[in-house]
Amino acid sequence: MSLERQRLLWIIVFLVVVLSAFIVPFISFMSNMTKFYGAFLFWSIFALVVIVFLGMITARWKDDRDER
Amino acid sequence: MSANTVYIALFVYFILGSVIARQASRKLGGGVNEFFLAGRSLGGIVSALTYSATTYSAFMLVGLAGFTYIGGVGALGFELIYLSGLVLVAFFGPRFWLVGQRYNYLTPTEMLGDRYGSKAVAAVSAVAAVIFLIPYSAVQLIGIGALLEGISGGAIPYLAGVSIAAFIAVYWTWTGGLKAVAWTDSLQAAVMLVVAVLSVILIAYRGFGGFGGLFAGLEAEYPAWLTVPGPGFFNINTFVGLTLPWFFFSLSNPQVSQRLFVPRSLGQMRIMVMGFLVFGFIYTLVSILWGFSARLLIPELAVADNATPVLLGLNIVPAGVALLVMLGICAAAVSTVNSIILTLSSMICRDVFKSSRRPNDEKRELLVGKIFVPLFTVVIVAFATIRLDLIAALSVASSAGLLVMVPALIGAFFWKRGTAPAVLASVVVGGLAATFLQYSGLKPLGYWPGVWSGLIATVLFIGVSFFTRPPEKKAAEFIGYLHEELGRKKII
Repeated sequence: MSLERQRLLWIIVFLVVVLSAFIVPFISFMSNMTKFYGAFLFWSIFALVVIVFLGMITARWKDDRDER
Repeated sequence: MSANTVYIALFVYFILGSVIARQASRKLGGGVNEFFLAGRSLGGIVSALTYSATTYSAFMLVGLAGFTYIGGVGALGFELIYLSGLVLVAFFGPRFWLVGQRYNYLTPTEMLGDRYGSKAVAAVSAVAAVIFLIPYSAVQLIGIGALLEGISGGAIPYLAGVSIAAFIAVYWTWTGGLKAVAWTDSLQAAVMLVVAVLSVILIAYRGFGGFGGLFAGLEAEYPAWLTVPGPGFFNINTFVGLTLPWFFFSLSNPQVSQRLFVPRSLGQMRIMVMGFLVFGFIYTLVSILWGFSARLLIPELAVADNATPVLLGLNIVPAGVALLVMLGICAAAVSTVNSIILTLSSMICRDVFKSSRRPNDEKRELLVGKIFVPLFTVVIVAFATIRLDLIAALSVASSAGLLVMVPALIGAFFWKRGTAPAVLASVVVGGLAATFLQYSGLKPLGYWPGVWSGLIATVLFIGVSFFTRPPEKKAAEFIGYLHEELGRKKII
């Protein structure tokens, strides 16, 4: 896959993930869930997913200085 | 807590940091790159710790805990979406770093000026950053003044607290520039995190018999606090209005985006980003749990921002731990303020002074930058002392005000058609709109200032660009270089 396509794919993935963090906790099934495993767990998992995805994207960050 | 105990703790903290700052300043070269960017040679772990300490201010354990106290779990969403804004660094980090190496940029605003072929762009953007970040820094010092005054029962005067924090910040910065700031930030970040984690574990176990007990208490007594909008503070408009500007923090705030020039390699930048994410995730959870604990233990507070000082005064927190938490909060404020002072000074010497004087006089340029370090500190202390309403408004408006730089930054890397007049229009009009809306308290159609300033800046940047002439040669060269280098390194 070309770099441009990969970039576009990641942009779409992050758009979906970040938008879900704005929307899902406000949807009625979750906004009525007065438990630890409601919005608290959802946002915590959201952040962990972002961290893992960023770990995948940055895995290629190397330059000449890193290879010495 | 007695005033003497607090003074001794602050003195020990100052001495320890000063030894580190002195050590860092040894072998420091005499150029602007050395002073303001630590010679572009920081390792990943120090970069991660200084990025964390700079990003996270006294707001976390005071303001965010207060948000949780009044608004519940929405505060977690707000802060974690802010953390997720680091996805922008995934795309812009290597680009900043590569052009920083190639063109020797000192500041993000210098980069904008060069890319759009306009010294006015650099100067106006730098002045906008000064206007929004000085009040933001003053509020940090106001927080320390109030905290020390509160924790000592009034024995430490407000002005003494403000002055002590300012002196520590300026002394370390003056001693060794960014290298001293980064090394002392590393110490401060470690203190912030370790103390915060230990204290929240202590509170959870001594107050509720564990985290299960804490959540069981919330589910039983304050169930709405586990939902949004919950008790009402975090309705969707407030949530979006608060969160959206902060999502762009890693690009819009120059004291943070300047750090993208600093790691010694791309591999070290990766360590910086991942280290910051882990730090931020833990520190956010701790601040939220701190706010939830306050909700259950001290339910009758009139002012939410007092949650932390009052919690520290309860007997479930041992005095020694309370003292360390107080130091951790001071460290969070000082590490944010000194980084802002350093960045603003670099902007003045490079984007305002150098643009208007003869080039290639690095000694003079550095001298100007160094003079602005104490000068900005005095201004920040003065602002913290007079406590005008406008300062609070500008500080709150800082995220909305700095957001107006984002369209120009995105355009610099991805849109050859962007022009200098468009940048000037978007920064000036967007910045004025953010200030006006924040100060007047107006929320047209119910939307917050950050939503409007972002929208206005984007529309102006795109619209004005179509009617003015872009710097075609520079844009092609700048974007072409990145395209080639990123392709060679297989970075998206």
